[in-house]
Amino acid sequence: MSVPQYRKAAALALVAGLGLSLTACSTKSDDGDSTAGGKVTITVDCQPVGSQKELLQNWNDDVVEFQKQNTDIVVKSVSVGEQCNNPPDFTARLAGGTVTDVFYGYMTDLAQVLDSGQAMDITEFANKDNIPTWDSVDPALREVFSDGGKLYAVPVKNYSMGLVYNKVLFQQAGLDVNSPPKTWTEVRNAAKKISALGNGVAGYSEYSAGNTGGWHFTSLLYSQGGQVLTPDGKKADFNNAMGKQVLQNLKDMRYGDNSMGARQLLQWGDLLTNAGAGKVGMFIGAPDATQAIVSQFQGKFQDWAMAPLPGQDGPAKGTLGGGEGYFFKKGLTPEQVKAGMKWIAYQKLTPGKGQFDYVRAKPQNYPVGLPQPLLFAGGSEAQKQEFELRKANANVDTANFAIFEATPVPIKGEPRNAQAIYAVLDAAMSGVLTNPNSNIDALLKTAEGKVNQLLAAES
Amino acid sequence: MAQDSGTRTLISQAQLRRGRGRILYWTLLAVVVVVFTLVFLGPLYWMVTGALKSGQEIAQTPPSLFPKDPRPQNYVDAWNNLDLAKLLFNTFYYATGAVLFQLVFDAAAAYSLSKLRPIFGNLILGLMLATLMIPAMVLIVPQYVTVIDLPIVHINLLDSPFAIWLPLVANAFNIFLLKRFFDSIPEELMSAALMDGATPLRTLWSIILPMSRPILGVVAILAMTAVWKDFLWPKLVMPSPETRTVSVGIYAFAGGTPMNVVIAASVIAAIPTVIIFLIFQRNIMSGLTAGSVKG
Amino acid sequence: MAIIAVPGTDREPGRPAPPRPTGPARTSLGRKVRDNLTGHTFLIGAVACFAVFSWYPMIRGIVMSFQRTRRGETTWVGWDNYSRIIADPSFWPAWKNTLYFTVLALVLGYAVPFFVAILLNEFRHAKGYLRILVYLPVMLPPASALFLFKFYAYDPSEAGLFNSILKALHLPTSEWMQSPEMTIPAMVIASTWMNMGSAVLIYLAALQNIPGELYEAAELDGAGIWRRIVHVTIPQTRLILALLAMLQIVATMQLFIEPLILANGAGAEDSATSVAYLIYQHGFFQNDLNGAAALGVIMLVVLAGFSAVYARLTAKQD
Repeated sequence: MSVPQYRKAAALALVAGLGLSLTACSTKSDDGDSTAGGKVTITVDCQPVGSQKELLQNWNDDVVEFQKQNTDIVVKSVSVGEQCNNPPDFTARLAGGTVTDVFYGYMTDLAQVLDSGQAMDITEFANKDNIPTWDSVDPALREVFSDGGKLYAVPVKNYSMGLVYNKVLFQQAGLDVNSPPKTWTEVRNAAKKISALGNGVAGYSEYSAGNTGGWHFTSLLYSQGGQVLTPDGKKADFNNAMGKQVLQNLKDMRYGDNSMGARQLLQWGDLLTNAGAGKVGMFIGAPDATQAIVSQFQGKFQDWAMAPLPGQDGPAKGTLGGGEGYFFKKGLTPEQVKAGMKWIAYQKLTPGKGQFDYVRAKPQNYPVGLPQPLLFAGGSEAQKQEFELRKANANVDTANFAIFEATPVPIKGEPRNAQAIYAVLDAAMSGVLTNPNSNIDALLKTAEGKVNQLLAAES
Repeated sequence: MAQDSGTRTLISQAQLRRGRGRILYWTLLAVVVVVFTLVFLGPLYWMVTGALKSGQEIAQTPPSLFPKDPRPQNYVDAWNNLDLAKLLFNTFYYATGAVLFQLVFDAAAAYSLSKLRPIFGNLILGLMLATLMIPAMVLIVPQYVTVIDLPIVHINLLDSPFAIWLPLVANAFNIFLLKRFFDSIPEELMSAALMDGATPLRTLWSIILPMSRPILGVVAILAMTAVWKDFLWPKLVMPSPETRTVSVGIYAFAGGTPMNVVIAASVIAAIPTVIIFLIFQRNIMSGLTAGSVKG
Repeated sequence: MAIIAVPGTDREPGRPAPPRPTGPARTSLGRKVRDNLTGHTFLIGAVACFAVFSWYPMIRGIVMSFQRTRRGETTWVGWDNYSRIIADPSFWPAWKNTLYFTVLALVLGYAVPFFVAILLNEFRHAKGYLRILVYLPVMLPPASALFLFKFYAYDPSEAGLFNSILKALHLPTSEWMQSPEMTIPAMVIASTWMNMGSAVLIYLAALQNIPGELYEAAELDGAGIWRRIVHVTIPQTRLILALLAMLQIVATMQLFIEPLILANGAGAEDSATSVAYLIYQHGFFQNDLNGAAALGVIMLVVLAGFSAVYARLTAKQD
């Protein structure tokens, strides 16, 4: 290339590059201004991603309908990924102050959100005027999103864990699909029979990586009647007989019976991939695990049923509950907060609308009839309405969840600073699941020390 | 490459043409070709066919060599669900920008340090080279905090391509490579140009840069590869799904996607780079050669 | 810092600067100022980027490591972050794993490409094909290459690719990433496979610049193949070898994506946790950016210490 040409090409490329980058920049900076032309604008995240076609369509329809009903409000949706709260990205948005006006978070995120100084106290706005069903919302859920008597988020989803099992594999193994295991001993026996089917089938499958191991350890511990932290939240409280039992059960199944399959160090998607391929007999999970198996992992609905979480010698003494809510960014105008509340009320907390629009969901490939999200207090008006609608429009065999629903297990929330604690407990889980000679006492002792140290550093 | 066919290497040509040497040469060549094909092409074959298998077939023992019931749908799902077109576009966009920024700023800096040698030039070069010893991981947290809120101007660069382009300019290795190359350009050329009244910019454009095309090529390749290979930094500074790179996007989706679809996405993601490489293979190879001749 | 001079610069600092063109006009003060200004104008872009994205974060990192931000308020906490991070039970395993990986990667990931390059340089046939093969994995996005290993090669069941091959050969199978002893070696294998292409090409280029007469002379002296490698090939490529060794060590110390993808993070009982992964865990999972910054500073100190030793060793050789 001769020099002038070289120069021209470089200059052109540079101009093109700068031009492109400028346009790329300008597309993203459309937040900020709140009340242009008498309208209140709010940005909301956790819009479904493009691959969830029907969910996205539903969301967009809801926005249109909501804006029609509230002509003074403009809702701008932002999609933050298929998992609305992926911890590193969430941390990034909090630290960078790029969260939307109304932003999604887990119940366990409250401490981190407060630390970042991004959350607004919304106590005075949470009332019937803004959210008509507010008084029906389970008070326990409101409590989780409160700190020092102040409310910081509106709960929009709530779940509790049970035993999810594959009916096809149960039948093949000669087990009764209508009387699933009620104790961990029964789980162990069933797992042995299912894994005897061979072909790489795991009777029972469990997580041990990516913080999901700790998450499930917590649930298993609750089933024993244990707790992760002491009531004052200052010390670890799992290095005891109940914690040992949890790990012993797993170790017995993994190495005593070899009924948990060879693949370990699983995290969320890994287990569900195997489940979708029909290689998992039982695992513990929330009702929406079956939804993920179908919509994301190529599995079938009719194969799956759910029972309450087993206990050691009888029914479980407790199960893990968790959920999600929407926080409000600090510095919003009262009008914006009210608009955000109204949107959440419409899309998340109104029977027959938004996430409760079962008539719309019925023909779509999303289950209606799952016993969740359990947002409303039992016996409240909204709860009854929602239940009737759900029954009338169910597209999955509700019998699959009948046992789970008929036998409620006391629900316990996640511990304070859950994600950090889960990371620690992953090591205990991976220990018993990958090392035939693991020392349960040592594993728990290490984890205890680590959690105590973590808690000490927090205060 | 053609130029080396005649040069003498470790073992003399003559030795390889004679009797035992010849047999040994051909046997070794055959073994190496077979082994390398298995080691480097084998996994890729496994990848392409594995992505065609169903979830059940992947989990079976022993694994099947050919997919029994090929599911091209996995590739379609991968393309659509991961929005690969967008991810690939982002990656190439960031890579192109990174190349341009590095060529412009680093070449200018190297030129200044090599030929103009302003006061404190050596000190600045020293400070730059010192960063060679600082792994990116050490700086990841403060760098991230900086990008979120740039000092003085208080701009947030998250989700902006500049968050990838500008930190890459701070690349001491490139400046070092360029400076060394510029050093080797005879000073007389410079002074002759200056005598003719050419400005330093003019000298850079019309004398230095045209002579430095090989090294500019190397810097471009290195810049491209750096963006292509980087993972944690783009993962942190591009938190939105629309701004992700391929590698980060595939990772983000892997958690909630069946593995055969993840693998299918990987295959598709690799195709454009492989094609680019095959087309520019000669330039890349000779670029790397030229770069180290002087290095 | 003496280390700066290490990567191939050994002739650089001592070399006298070529005489600058001197003329009557050049000596005037105004001219000098203008020349310096021009010089700095060319530097400004790169220097600004270094200042903002390299030098400033360096200082900021050290400052952050002595602070703690809680509820939007930043306070000085002395050595608290350091004591917290060192007391983290994953701290020592992370260092052990990282160093083990670095050493193993040096043996495997450094020596293998060099000998592959020597081998390839001897062939007169199929050269292009072999080069493209070696370079192919470099073109995969790193996450893809690692998923390939995770899903197929390192599947711990008998359906896994490596286990199927081992079984067919009647060799003992392994649980790969699930077995604490195999975790690091398995990561080194995957990492070498996906990264060695670039190193091989750079070595090849260096090998082609060795004058053939040197080999001839050595052969006349009766040196066998091995002695020719030791006495001709290695000394002739010393510069590039030293440079790549340095770069590789700095790179492997940052081991991150391999544990993240192959072992879903920490692996079996912290057998995969790396220092970089621990930084990531603290910074972005545990809401502890200050602790992460402290660990970063520790890493810097360790590397600086290592570099000083390295520089002294290489200096002695000269």
